Amino acid sequence: MLTMNNVSKIYQTNSVQTHALRDFSLTVNEGEFIAVTGPSGSGKTTFLNIAGLLEPFTSGQYTLDGVDIGGLSDNQTADLRNQKIGYIFQGFNLIPDLNLYENVEVPLRYRGIAAKERKIRIEQCLEQVGLASRAKHLPQQLSGGQQQRVAIARALAGKPRFLLADEPTGNLDSLMARQVMELLEEINKNGATIVMVTHDAELARRAPRNIQVVDGQLADFTLYQGKPTLAATRDNETVVASGV
Amino acid sequence: MFLHYIDLSWRSIKRTPVISFLMVFAIAIGIGLTMTSLSVYHMMSMDPIPHKSGNIFYPQLNIMDDGNEWHSSDNLPYQLTYQDAINLYNADIPVLKSPSFRSGFSVHLNSPEVKPTMEPARLVNREFFTIFDRPFVYGAPWSRDSQDTHEYVVVISEKINDRLFAGKNSVGQHIYLDNNSYRIVGVSANWEHHVKYYDVNNGAFNVAEQLYIPFSIAPLEEIGTWGNMNGWKHENSKGYQGLLASERVWIQFWAQLNTMQEKQQFGDYLISYMDDQREKGRFNREVLEFKLRNVTEWLEYNKVVSEDNRILVGLSFMFLLVCVSNILGLLLAKFLKRAPEVGVRRALGASKRHIFAQHIVEVSVIGLAGGLLGIAIAQLGLWGVRVTNSYYGALANMDVSMLLTAPIIALTASFLAGIYPAWLVCRTQPAIYLKSQ
Ligand SMILES: Nc1ncnc2c1ncn2[C@@H]1O[C@H](COP(=O)(O)OP(=O)(O)OP(=O)(O)O)[C@@H](O)[C@H]1O
Ligand SMILES: [Mg+2]
Repeated sequence: MLTMNNVSKIYQTNSVQTHALRDFSLTVNEGEFIAVTGPSGSGKTTFLNIAGLLEPFTSGQYTLDGVDIGGLSDNQTADLRNQKIGYIFQGFNLIPDLNLYENVEVPLRYRGIAAKERKIRIEQCLEQVGLASRAKHLPQQLSGGQQQRVAIARALAGKPRFLLADEPTGNLDSLMARQVMELLEEINKNGATIVMVTHDAELARRAPRNIQVVDGQLADFTLYQGKPTLAATRDNETVVASGV
Repeated sequence: MFLHYIDLSWRSIKRTPVISFLMVFAIAIGIGLTMTSLSVYHMMSMDPIPHKSGNIFYPQLNIMDDGNEWHSSDNLPYQLTYQDAINLYNADIPVLKSPSFRSGFSVHLNSPEVKPTMEPARLVNREFFTIFDRPFVYGAPWSRDSQDTHEYVVVISEKINDRLFAGKNSVGQHIYLDNNSYRIVGVSANWEHHVKYYDVNNGAFNVAEQLYIPFSIAPLEEIGTWGNMNGWKHENSKGYQGLLASERVWIQFWAQLNTMQEKQQFGDYLISYMDDQREKGRFNREVLEFKLRNVTEWLEYNKVVSEDNRILVGLSFMFLLVCVSNILGLLLAKFLKRAPEVGVRRALGASKRHIFAQHIVEVSVIGLAGGLLGIAIAQLGLWGVRVTNSYYGALANMDVSMLLTAPIIALTASFLAGIYPAWLVCRTQPAIYLKSQ
């Protein structure tokens, strides 16, 4: 599904260069559910954004679904985003003027889905995140956790084959977090490939594959999968980090 | 999607009512001013008789002996002498032609019930009505016979007919012009023109005459002109008969020449006519000179649309441009503030084209609203022109074409202001604002 080969991302602000990703290589297979962990500022969001075609990378190679992303035009990446990819952003990034229903509708409109079909999907997705009764509310009338759930509904409404979630449970209590996790597991079972960034070790452990990003590079934890305690993970992280 | 964009525009406008109002108002003021000056200009420069303006010609003869100069751009007098007008009319050329001049009479019914009024009149020959396509409500132009036998006949306007005869068919009735009784032969429809193109000598924006009587009555009643009379040489002519025989110019003349060939023949005739006149001691000049200008050329030649008017239109467009640049600044601020939202839309699959379209629609909504308000302001402006300036009164109106032009100019202006901000905002990278918040 996704192959990154030595992808690097350098942010240039004034005289400061930030290497957000360095020679990042990763293969994600169709149908996988991957949890991404790593310290703050290590480049998780940057990786997710590049994977989701939200920003260009500095060097390296990235193919999504057999398509070389490096050579695509802006319109082509917009279409890919729209048709294949669903996002749950770290900030919820709801559009403040639009009510919940309309927020969920945004990607569906750009995809050109008919109004009737949109309605069915939107109502279904809002139902799934338990906000069906508040469809007409504006984002600012909701709590952070509720906004997070709307963002999830918006990502699910397009029935994406590839779902990228940046801290989807960051603002939810543990009960709600588990429900969201179950929702993601369910759509993963239905065939969607999921990459989820999380700080929650417990949630990460529920994912079949864990990867860790440290200082813009990847440490694959498949070996330790299911076994390591939080402490063990931390240890390993240090080892990997110092190995860079 | 288009309706959705309109919906989004409306929300955006509601969210920033002050800025939105400022933008709409700026366009409205610009459009209001532009449309006021443009409407007057449009009415002035509009072809007054589109289907025939190329076929009706005004002859000018250079009657002056060598060494004399006329105050016109091509040294030709603007009008004809009485004798030339008569001779041209009587010339044996089978085309419609008519001399004419403006005068006026006190109109009454010789009864104490109806108060006499002073009305402008035009002395013409019967062809005048055909040349200028004047429709008749009742009756018809007088006959050639009445004209030749100096019969006292009159064509009155619908307006006079309404006043004196309550709009009923008055053909066959008599009215008094000054002290003479005239038989009404026709009632001609009111002539509502913006430019009095058939007689620009007496004010190109004057109202039409209300009475028409045969040109042949002029010498009998010694009817003087209400228009200009000019001469180029000192003459000792005395009285009205002297005027008729003089070199003074005061008669207008029109001929309908349907083909290039007719025009050529008429021109040839003018030359041979002037040549003939030399034997009477007139046209003492090296080169015989004439001009045949059609209606369009005639109005152009007479600078009916003055330079001032053009400058005014230009200035008002410049003012519109100033409004546009203000709006551009406001739009820039407004759209760029929305970049985070645009980033989200881009991330969710909006192409640049989607974003551009959304913002251009918003700009158009503002432009259109400004255009409509601008029309209202222009109407106010034109009303102002009408009440303060009776001469330009008939011109200070918006016809349908101007009503349609206003929104087009408003849209163009708003595009001009909006394209750059919309282009900037559609280039927003999807990711830039996603990490913050
Ligand atoms: N647009 C940008 N311009 C400059 N530097 C950036 C930009 N975006 C990210 N960075 C830097 O790149 C590095 C990686 O950032 P990124 O947001 O990917 O981290 P993260 O792993 O998602 O962190 P967190 O867990 O706090 O969300 C950080 O040092 C960050 O400061
Ligand atoms: Mg992050």
